[in-house]
Amino acid sequence: MKQGFSLDDLVNDLEPVRPFNMVRAIASVGAILAAAAALIILSKGMRADVMAGDPEPMFLIRAGLLLLLGGGCGWAVLSMASPAVGKQGQSWKMALAAAALFPLAALVIAMTGRVEVAMSNMRYGLDCMAFSGIGGLATAIPMVLSLRRGAPTNPERAGWLTGVAAGGLGAFAYGLHCPFNDVVYIGVWYSLAVGVCALLGRLIVPRLIRW
Amino acid sequence: MIANEEGLRRLMRLSQGGDKQAYAILLEQCGAWLARYYRQKIAPDAIDDLVQETLMSLHRKRASYDPSRPFLPWLAAIARYRWVDRLRQGYRNEADSIDNHDPSEDSHEEVVAAKISIDRLLDLIPASQSEAIRCMKIEGLSIAETCQRTGQSEALVKVNIHRGLKRLSALVESE
Repeated sequence: MKQGFSLDDLVNDLEPVRPFNMVRAIASVGAILAAAAALIILSKGMRADVMAGDPEPMFLIRAGLLLLLGGGCGWAVLSMASPAVGKQGQSWKMALAAAALFPLAALVIAMTGRVEVAMSNMRYGLDCMAFSGIGGLATAIPMVLSLRRGAPTNPERAGWLTGVAAGGLGAFAYGLHCPFNDVVYIGVWYSLAVGVCALLGRLIVPRLIRW
Repeated sequence: MIANEEGLRRLMRLSQGGDKQAYAILLEQCGAWLARYYRQKIAPDAIDDLVQETLMSLHRKRASYDPSRPFLPWLAAIARYRWVDRLRQGYRNEADSIDNHDPSEDSHEEVVAAKISIDRLLDLIPASQSEAIRCMKIEGLSIAETCQRTGQSEALVKVNIHRGLKRLSALVESE
């Protein structure tokens, strides 16, 4: 028996708590994403084709995949806050598989030598990484807060997925400004942005959420 | 009195709202449930400590329970997490043997709960890993005894325990 343990102490310490609620958790991430997107549009401007209401197909595909990636992994992260045996959220695997489309396509096209857009616009690529990272950091905050309040049973996976989700959502927000439609550019710089966020998530998040 | 899903769920909902009377009953019933849950999964003299640690986790993390979902799978996830954590801390049982519990004495509720049991969790990892973990971490055998029983070398036992615990921690919520 542990010294000083008493059920009565736990009972006396009881305070009402607000139970975990998935809808509220998603809404908090959505609100931060909307704020991050608004800030990027205000500071950098919106893509001309989107502004004109006639978006390029590549923009739609990229935005859709990034939302799928960020949404699928974000859903998995928030689910991890409320654990249960038998609750196997696998949405993130589908999202990751779908999002692999761009880096794979970029690799194939890069092998044909068509890499000039991606390489000659390195400055913009670095911008893309930086702004996606900042947007990602903002969306990571409510996810990490949910995990800290919750009881994630796999902190390492939670860290990876928080990073991927934040990177995907941050890149989606920056994508509303980014004028490039080149597959290699998107495959290289957006993948790097998501990859760096994933790595940072794996390194930082588990320390913040272990219980 | 044997705890049941519906009763525990109702008590937890009341507890989240701050009802101390309901919480006292919940803790008592969860304590009994956890003692049965951990039986034969850790040395008998360590069960009390592990039950207490899990109850403290339940207390600290009570907000993480979503009242729209079943209660026992949530409690089992917390219990498995604490159990794996305890094994990873390198706990060594010094007891000579474990008690002889007959599973047929278990209530229907426990039989139904088999899917969330620790045995089920151990079944999800390779046999060589679960065997090494059972011998050293649950039964408290020495490494030499474990090698003798499993036919594995000392190095292999260590690797299997390390890998097995890592896998277990990744599978806490698996059915």
